[in-house]
Amino acid sequence: MTRIVLRRFLLACLLIGAASALTFALVAAAPGNVAALIAERAAGPGADAEMIRRIGEELGLYDPLPVRYGRWLANALAGDLGVSLRTGKPIAEEFAARIPMTAALLTGGGIIALFLSLGLGIAGAVSNGGPTDRLLHAFSLVGASTPNFFVAALLVIVFSVTLGWLPTFGTSGFSSWLLPWATIALFPASVLSRVVRVNLQEAMSRPFATTGFAKGYTRTQVLLREALPNIAIPFLTTFGAQFTLMIIGSIVVETVFALRGVGAFFIEAIRFRDFVGMQSVLLLFIVFFVMTNLLVDIVCLLVDPRIRRAPSA
Amino acid sequence: MSAALANMRKWPWPVLSPVIVFVLVGIFAPLIMRYDPGAQDYEATLEGMSWAHWLGTDYLGRDVFSRIVGGARISLVAMSIVLVAALAIGVTIGSFAGYVGGRVELVLISIIDIALALPSLVIALALIGILGTGYWSMITALTLAWWANYARMSRAVVTAELQQPYIEAARVMGASHLWIFVRHILPHVLALVVVYASADAGALVLAIATLSFLGLGVAPPTPEWGQMLVDGMSYIEEYPRLVILPGLALTLVVVSFNLLGEAFALQKVPRPVKGSALRGRRQARIHEEEERSAVERSGWPA
Amino acid sequence: MAGMTEAQPVYSVEDLVIDLYTPTVSVRAVDGVSFGVRARETLAIVGESGSGKTVSTLGPLGLLPEGVGVDISGTAQADGKNLVGMDSARLSALRGSYFGVIFQDPISALNPMLKVGPQLAEQARRFAGLSRREARKEAVSLLARSGIPDPEDRYHRYPHEMSGGMLQRVMIALALASRPKVLIADEPTTALDATVQAQILDLIRHIQRDNNIAVILITHDIGAVAAVADRVVVLYAGQIAEEGSVLDVLTGPVHPYTRGLLASVPDFRADERAATREIPGLPPNQTTLEPGCRFAERCGFVEPQCRVHRPPLATIAATGVPHRVACPVVVRREGIAVNA
Repeated sequence: MTRIVLRRFLLACLLIGAASALTFALVAAAPGNVAALIAERAAGPGADAEMIRRIGEELGLYDPLPVRYGRWLANALAGDLGVSLRTGKPIAEEFAARIPMTAALLTGGGIIALFLSLGLGIAGAVSNGGPTDRLLHAFSLVGASTPNFFVAALLVIVFSVTLGWLPTFGTSGFSSWLLPWATIALFPASVLSRVVRVNLQEAMSRPFATTGFAKGYTRTQVLLREALPNIAIPFLTTFGAQFTLMIIGSIVVETVFALRGVGAFFIEAIRFRDFVGMQSVLLLFIVFFVMTNLLVDIVCLLVDPRIRRAPSA
Repeated sequence: MSAALANMRKWPWPVLSPVIVFVLVGIFAPLIMRYDPGAQDYEATLEGMSWAHWLGTDYLGRDVFSRIVGGARISLVAMSIVLVAALAIGVTIGSFAGYVGGRVELVLISIIDIALALPSLVIALALIGILGTGYWSMITALTLAWWANYARMSRAVVTAELQQPYIEAARVMGASHLWIFVRHILPHVLALVVVYASADAGALVLAIATLSFLGLGVAPPTPEWGQMLVDGMSYIEEYPRLVILPGLALTLVVVSFNLLGEAFALQKVPRPVKGSALRGRRQARIHEEEERSAVERSGWPA
Repeated sequence: MAGMTEAQPVYSVEDLVIDLYTPTVSVRAVDGVSFGVRARETLAIVGESGSGKTVSTLGPLGLLPEGVGVDISGTAQADGKNLVGMDSARLSALRGSYFGVIFQDPISALNPMLKVGPQLAEQARRFAGLSRREARKEAVSLLARSGIPDPEDRYHRYPHEMSGGMLQRVMIALALASRPKVLIADEPTTALDATVQAQILDLIRHIQRDNNIAVILITHDIGAVAAVADRVVVLYAGQIAEEGSVLDVLTGPVHPYTRGLLASVPDFRADERAATREIPGLPPNQTTLEPGCRFAERCGFVEPQCRVHRPPLATIAATGVPHRVACPVVVRREGIAVNA
C-alpha cells in the first residue's frame, strides 16, 4: 500500500514539474515584455530600447529557457516568487494574505457542497421516482447550468437588495461569507447530488441490496446501510474533481463579492499583464490541483476494502 | 451515420427543440432583431418593457431584446468555432496517438495529461493573459484549453477498437491504415465524442460568458450575455431586469445542452409504477421488442 | 421424511397469482399456485427459467428486484399473518424475523464494503434479542456451525477475501442469524463447484435437523432434489404441473412435463450411450395469456380439450403425502385412480 502511495506522490511531483515548466515557458515566451514593463515603471513611458535591454540582461531574461525555469523553480521552492509587475510588492507577501481568504472560501463551499449533495441525493433515492426525486433532478440540472455569476447576482438581488438580510460586498463577519459560499457551492452540489442519486440507484439494483431486504430492512434502511457505503468511491472521485473546479468558481466569486483572494489576484494579473504574478498563481493552482487529485486517490485507496486488504484466500 | 439519420423519429425531440431554437435565433438574429443592438438612445435609457422595446432598454438606451438576440448569435458563433476547432485538433491528435502507439503515443499522452492538469477555464485565462484580450484571443485561448479532453477520449476509443478482432481481419484483407481508421474506427470515436460535445457546448457558452463577464472576452459594444450581465451589475438594485434577462438566457441555453447530452447518454431504465393507476392496463399487450424484455432486463431470475 | 405428522404448515401460500408489469407489458409469472411447508420438512420447487419458481417464493416476501411493478393476489400465511397486502414496514420486520434467505451467487449477494461478521451480529441483535456482546459471540458460533474454519478470524473479513463455497456458508450463517422458522434457498448451488455443491446441500440438511426449521429449496437441479428434499412441486409457466413426495414424483412421474424433465437428465451411469432426450419446443411467451394447458404445444399426449380448458390439479392415489397432477389426459389414459 505504501508503495502505491509513494509512487503516486512521485508521479504527482513529476506532473507539477512538467505542468509548471510548460506554463513557465508559455508565460516567459516574451521576455521583452517583462523588461519593458519594468522599464516603464522605472522611467515612465518612453523608456528606450537600450534601457529595456539592459534591464532584461540584469534580470537574466535572455538566458536560455531551462536556466530561467530552474532559477525560478528554485526560488519558488525557497519561498521567493518574485515581485509583482503590477503592485511592485513581493508575491509571497500577497499570497500570505490572499491564500487564507481563498482557502476559507473553498473550504466553506466544499463543506456545504458535500453535505448538501449527500442530503439531496439520498432524499431523491428514498423518493425513487416520486415528486421529491423529480424536483431534485430538476434542481440539480438547473444548478449545474446556471452561471455562477448569475447565481451570485440572483442571491444578491434576493437576499441583499430585496430582503436586506445579508451584506453585498466585502468581508464583514460571518454573514458576509454566506452568499459567496452559497454561490460557489451550488454547481458542485448540483453535480454531486446527481452522482449520489444515480449511484445509489445503481447500487440498489445489485444483488447485495436484495440480501439487504432479506435481512429484514426497509427500503430506506437498505439504502443507507447497504447502498450508501458502495457509493463512497464514485462520490469521492467526483468530489475531488469538483473541488478542483472550484478554482474557477473562486475567481468569479472573489471578483463579484470583492474578496481579496488568489482568484481576484489572478484576474488582476491578467488584466495588467503581470506575468510574474500569473506564473506564481498558475504554479499555486497546479500544486493545488495535483495535490487534491493525489489526496482523493489515496483516500479512495484507503476506503476500498478490496485494495486495503488484498485477497489472501 | 446513415443509420442515425434514418432513426430520426427516435431522436429526443423535446430536448432537441430548445437547442434548435437557440441555433435558429443565432442564425437569423439580424432578421429577428428590431433595433441595432449597439444603437444608443439617450432619450430612452433604462426603460421598462413596452411595445416599442419588448424587454426594455439598458443604461445607454439600447434595446435589450435586440441585444439578447444578438448575444445569442455571438455565443452560437463563438461556441461553434471553438468546438469545431477543439474537436478537430483533439480528435486528430488523440486518434493519431492511439493508432500509432509506441513512444509517440506515450509522448502525446504526457502532453495531454499536462494539458489536463488544470481546469480548462484556468488555462484559457492564462492564455488570454499571454495573448491579450479580444475576440480572437479568446477564441484561440478557449480552443487551446478545450482540445485535450477530446484527445484523451479519442485515444481511449481508438486503443480499445484496435484490439477488436475485426481490425486484424481488415488488415489481412489488405485495407490501408487510413481506410481502416476512417471506415471502422472513426465512427466509434465520433459516437462518443458527439455525446460529450453536445453537453460540452453548454459549458463552452458558459465559459465565453464567464470570460466576458470578467472583461476578458467579448468586448463592448458587441452584445454578449455575460458582458451584459456585468454591465447590469451596477444597476442591480433598481433595475435587476438588466441582470436577470441575460442570466436567464444563459441558463436556458445551458440547460438545453445539458438535457441534450443527458438524453444522448441516458439508457432507459424501467421506472417503478405505482399500483392502482395501472390496473386498467394489465392486459397482455406486446409492444416493441425492447419493452418486452424490460422484465427480463431488470434481472428476473424467474 | 421422518415423523410425518399432520402438523400445520409453517409457511403456506394459496391461489397465488403474481403479475409483473412495466407501463406497456404485463406478464403473469405465477398463475394460481399453492404450496406449504412444515417444520423439519424440505420442499423443493422445481422448474426451468420462467417457470415462476423464484417469483412465487420470493414475491410474497417482497424480495423481487426493483424496477418492475408487482401485483400479488392470493394469500401467503406466515406466523398467522397474511403477507399479501401487508404494508412494507411490517413485511420487512416479518421477513427478517421469520425467514432466512440464501441467494444464488454468494459473491455478488454479499456487500463488498461490509465486513462479514458484524452483519451476522446485527441480525442476531435485532431479531434474537441478544446484547451486543452476546450477538458477536453468536455470530462467531454461527460461522463455526456453518462449517467455516477459524471463525474468529473470518468474522473480520470482507467477502472478497473468501472463496465462493466459503461465502455460501457465510450466507447460510447470515440467514440463520435471525433464528428464522423458514429457510429459503434460491439455487444455492448453481454458482458453485460440484464438490462444494454436495457440501452445501449437506450443510442445509444438518441445519434443518438441528434447528427444526422448514426449508424451501428452489432449484432446477433434480439431483439436489433427490438428495435433500422431502416433497417437490414442479412448476411450468407459472402453474403447478405436479406435486408430491420426492419418492413418488421422481420414481413415478405422471405429468408429461415432469416425465420429460426427468428423462432429460443425463444419466452418467448408464451403460449404453443413450441420447439425451430433451423436450421439444420452448416455454410459452407469458405475455399472451392463452386458455388451456400451458404445456400443450410441447406435449406428446396433447388432446383437443387441452387447448381449451386449463387442466385442474387432481389428487391421485398415493401413500401418505398427496400426489397431485394437472394432466387428466395421462391420468385417464393410464388408468390412474383419482381420489375425491
